[in-house]
Amino acid sequence: MHFVWSSFVFTIIAFLILYWLLNRYAFGPLFSVMEKRRELIKQQMDEAAQTRQQATQYVEEQKAALQQARKDAQDIIEQARQTSNSQTEQLLNQAKEESMRLKDEAARDIENEKNKAVAALRSEIGAVSVQIASKVLQKEVDANAQEQLVDNYLKDVGIRQ
Amino acid sequence: MHESPIIDVGFKIDLSVVIMLIVTCAIVFILAKLSTRNLSVDNPSKLQNFMEWVVEFVQGLITSTMDYKKGRPFLSLGITLIMFIFVGNMLGLPFGLVFDYTNAASATFFGHPLTPVVEGLANGSHGVEVAWWKSPTADAAAAMGLALIVFVLVHYLGIVKNPKHYFAHYFKPFFFFFPINVIEQLSKLLTHGMRLFGNIFAGEVLIAVLLKMSAVWYGAIASVIGLVVWQGFSIFVGTIQAFVFTILAMVYISQSLETDEDH
Repeated sequence: MHFVWSSFVFTIIAFLILYWLLNRYAFGPLFSVMEKRRELIKQQMDEAAQTRQQATQYVEEQKAALQQARKDAQDIIEQARQTSNSQTEQLLNQAKEESMRLKDEAARDIENEKNKAVAALRSEIGAVSVQIASKVLQKEVDANAQEQLVDNYLKDVGIRQ
Repeated sequence: MHESPIIDVGFKIDLSVVIMLIVTCAIVFILAKLSTRNLSVDNPSKLQNFMEWVVEFVQGLITSTMDYKKGRPFLSLGITLIMFIFVGNMLGLPFGLVFDYTNAASATFFGHPLTPVVEGLANGSHGVEVAWWKSPTADAAAAMGLALIVFVLVHYLGIVKNPKHYFAHYFKPFFFFFPINVIEQLSKLLTHGMRLFGNIFAGEVLIAVLLKMSAVWYGAIASVIGLVVWQGFSIFVGTIQAFVFTILAMVYISQSLETDEDH
């Protein structure tokens, strides 16, 4: 075994040259590519995380929208039911009122007709009874006095009834 | 053992180390260059995947020893170290180039005589075997050179980035521990380089021994079996040593950067 000093120096020189060459021509580009890939992966992971977050957000939004729609539908149904109920009631009330009014009107008409008939009858009876009385009694009675007489009589009868 | 092809041009040059350094650097650089040729963010090639795996492995080494923000600048150094040492460790395994010189006149390299051959023949050897192909890390000087790079970097970082802690720690826990701390630092340098050298050199020595065994014909069977086992184990050792050298470099760097008092 020899220890040759020039080998020592040559090794150092050779190694330093190799180091410089590798650094200049091989490692620099390689490191930059590896760094780029690292950044790419990081970026993609960030994007994935962001997308996932967005998706979650969308799902939440959709859920909320669905909930809202359901609630709206419920409200509409409720409202329709209420409207129909109130309408029914209103119609019923109207019908009741109408029928009541008709009934009242009819009763009033009947009363009127009855009164008219009674009045007519009364005057008729008066006149007839006068004729009868005058015929029967052959006695001239003042028509007005006779009428008075019959009215009083009839009133008495009406009271007794 | 084989001799090294050393020539003398005013100073000694170990040609095998020079050749192997060039080969190692070339392989590492070509591998790195091929793997980063068509870089793609979302569709990396197989080689790019491999190189990214290496990068992430070294990132793991750094994060296991220090805060990654602090260790980030040493990522390139760590990758270069682990690739250089791993490739270097593997190069000596598959084959060797050994020339047997019996004539001093033929043992020349561009006119410069190979000194071990000349000396060996002058000392009466019949032939000197010279290995031209070996792991660069199986050379003590080369391994120590790598360790020295880390050593210098560590102490530079300590002095520039963390001077108070750096100078104070030589006198911890007591003032008179200074010589021991200095020795500790030097021993770190020595063990860092020598561990690598020793493991790889021993591996190659054993390979050489096993190859020698095959000269006897029934020894050849044992030699083949032994080589299969030992080559496999050497791949394992070479990998582990590349890993150990790199992680130790990171540990030393983290020690020079750390600001808390005890370690």
